[in-house]
Order: sequence, then C-alpha cells, then structure tokens
Amino acid sequence: MDRLDEMLLELKDTSELMIDLAYSSLLYNNKEIAEEVVLMEEMLDELANDIQRRAIVRAMDDRDEGKAFAIIKLAVAVEEISDAAMQIATVTIQEDEPHPVIRLSIKDADTTITRAEIKPGSDLVGKSLGKMRLASQSGMWVVAVKRERKYLYGPDKNVVLQVGDVVIARGPPEAEQYFQDICDGKERLEEP
Amino acid sequence: MIDIGREKRLDKYDLAHATVREILTEMKDISEIMVDLAYASIMFDSEEIAEEVKNLEEDMEELSKNIRIKAMLAARTHKEAAKLSSLLEVASASRRISNAAGDIVKIMEVDVAKRPFLGFILREAEEKIKRLSLAEGSDMVGRLIGELGVESETGMRIIAIKRGKRWIYDPEEDTKLKAGDVLIVRGTEDGYEVLRSYANGEERWPVYPEEEGD
Repeated sequence: MDRLDEMLLELKDTSELMIDLAYSSLLYNNKEIAEEVVLMEEMLDELANDIQRRAIVRAMDDRDEGKAFAIIKLAVAVEEISDAAMQIATVTIQEDEPHPVIRLSIKDADTTITRAEIKPGSDLVGKSLGKMRLASQSGMWVVAVKRERKYLYGPDKNVVLQVGDVVIARGPPEAEQYFQDICDGKERLEEP
Repeated sequence: MIDIGREKRLDKYDLAHATVREILTEMKDISEIMVDLAYASIMFDSEEIAEEVKNLEEDMEELSKNIRIKAMLAARTHKEAAKLSSLLEVASASRRISNAAGDIVKIMEVDVAKRPFLGFILREAEEKIKRLSLAEGSDMVGRLIGELGVESETGMRIIAIKRGKRWIYDPEEDTKLKAGDVLIVRGTEDGYEVLRSYANGEERWPVYPEEEGD
C-alpha cells in the first residue's frame, strides 16, 4: 500500500463524514459540530493539495502522466464534496435557527440522521462499535459520539460506548426506531 | 410498473406542483446516490452507470432551478427571504455534490490501467461498494426491498440492480427482487458478508416474532 493511496482514502472517507456531520449540525442546530466541519475542510484542503503535488512529482519521476492525471481529478472532485459540506455547515453557523423546512427535508430523505443516548442496560454499553457490528445490525452508521462535553467525530470500530454517551448516526428512516430502542436497552443486539 | 428507478424522480409535472421541502429532499437524495453511483461506475468500469450519473446531474439542474423560483415566490418579508436564502445555500451544496459526482465519473475517460489506485481506495474505504448476485434458492427472491428492510437489516444500501441487460438505479421500496439480479450495494464489510449469505441462499432471511402471527 502506497502513501498516496492512503491519503486519497482519507480524503474520501473524511469528505463523506463531513457531509453527515454538516447535515447533523443543521438538524440539531449544533454550531460546535458545524465548526468541526470547517476545521476538517481546512485539513482536507491541505491534504488535497499535498496529494496533487505528490502525484505530479511521481509523474515526473516515472514519466507517467496518466495516473497522476486521474489522481488529481479524483482529489479535486472529492475536495469539492468537502467544500459542499462546509457550505452546509456555514448555514448552521450563520443562522440563529435554520429554516424549519431544512430539518423536515433531512428527516424525509432516504438517508436521515438520528441521535440517541446510551442508557444503562443497553447492549452497547462497554462494547466496541466494531464488536457489536452496529452498522450492519441496526442499519445506522455512527458519525459522532458526545461524551460529557466532548465530541468524538467519525469514531472507529475500537470506540467503546459508555452510559450517557450521545450517539449521532446516519441511516434509513425505517431503522431509526430500532436504533433508538437498542440505545435505550429496549431491544437486544444479536451477539456476534 | 415501478421497475425503473428513474421513474420515481419528480417529473416536469410533479416539479411544477412540488413544494420546496419536497424538492430539497429530492436534491439531498439524488446528490447522495450520485456519489455512490459515481464510485460504482469506476469500481466496475461501467459506462452505463456513468451515463446514469450524467442523467441525474441534468435532473439536479432542473431541481435547482425550480427550488430557486419557488423560494423566491414564497418570500413575503425580508426576514423570510433571508431564511429562504440560507435554505437555497443547502440546495446549492447538494448541487455541488452532484457536480463533484459528475467529475468523479469523468475519471472513466482515463485508461483503466492508469487508475489502479481507485480499486484500492474503494476496497479499503470505511464503507465499500460491492456487488453480489441473487441465487435461485435465496428467500430474498420474489420479495420487495422495503418488505425485507434490506438496509435496516444489514446496513447495506442497494444503489443499483442489474437485471439481464437492464439497470434499475436507486431501486424503490416496492422493487421486487428476482433470481439472477446483480445487486450493487454500499456498506460495511461485515454487512456485505451478512447480505451475501442471504443472497446466495446459505442463510434464511430473518423473521421476527411479531411478524409471524399476522
């Protein structure tokens, strides 16, 4: 695995997380999450620039402009997605209260955002996200966890949930209730 | 008939009667499916999927124009206009995502041999795009996507179906699955493994107690 590939992978995964976080910030009128999206955008800007420079250097070394061209095209397109996320987050930052229709639209969409608090007795307590295979079992993909006052963005599968954590997740509206019930401890997860 | 994914999209008539809320929802949905389809087109080197992304990009232009007109007509006061203007920012961000998806598809123009890194990225991404086919013996056959609740059950979203020579993009809840369908799906690795075991007939689709009685 090559460094440039890893960088592109990070660019792609982060840009998608940013979109989810940007919509979450709008839905919950949460300026802290929106500010995080802005920070991520600055980081991705640099990452995308770095990718492009490295691609050019490599093309000069191995005299193969085709691959560099494809890498640059991809980096620019993905960076554009992160710009769009920032555009959404900026609405959250600038408005006291976003237009109510925006929230309704997010809730109506094929993919929506939900949040739930982890209650004592939930199967998720003390287990890592990966071990519980939450995404494949509940259909909801965790985009952020709020623990006390701090947010953890794009938690990886090693993150262990605790009672009181507030989990923000993305997924189909039909999966929302089940996800809420798992966090509440009303529904059990199958042991993997 | 609901087989063609595109039919669900707002057509010109619907668009004239659609609300700002409906159009914004549609723009969010389309922008997201476009990104998935764009990556899928590269992953499977499919000109047909790429073509669909281009079609959706055109639909987005139309939606984008309509939402602006409707928002302008809806504003009666300065305050309302200001609020609607930020709503249009969100719509414009969706369109930007759709343009980015259109740009991703253009990478198809680069020779396959020059883009080996793309396969790597799409295989290693947190959420992957994968392909599987429905076996004759799978109990998913003959059932509707919504009835199964494929995405809530497995976390895998079906972004397209190839049925014989035909494609169904962004299939609806009431799309019936058929033996031999090739499903293009997006989600985690373990979600894919679970879905594959149902699709090849190894495992039965789960039935929950409350559904059995009635």
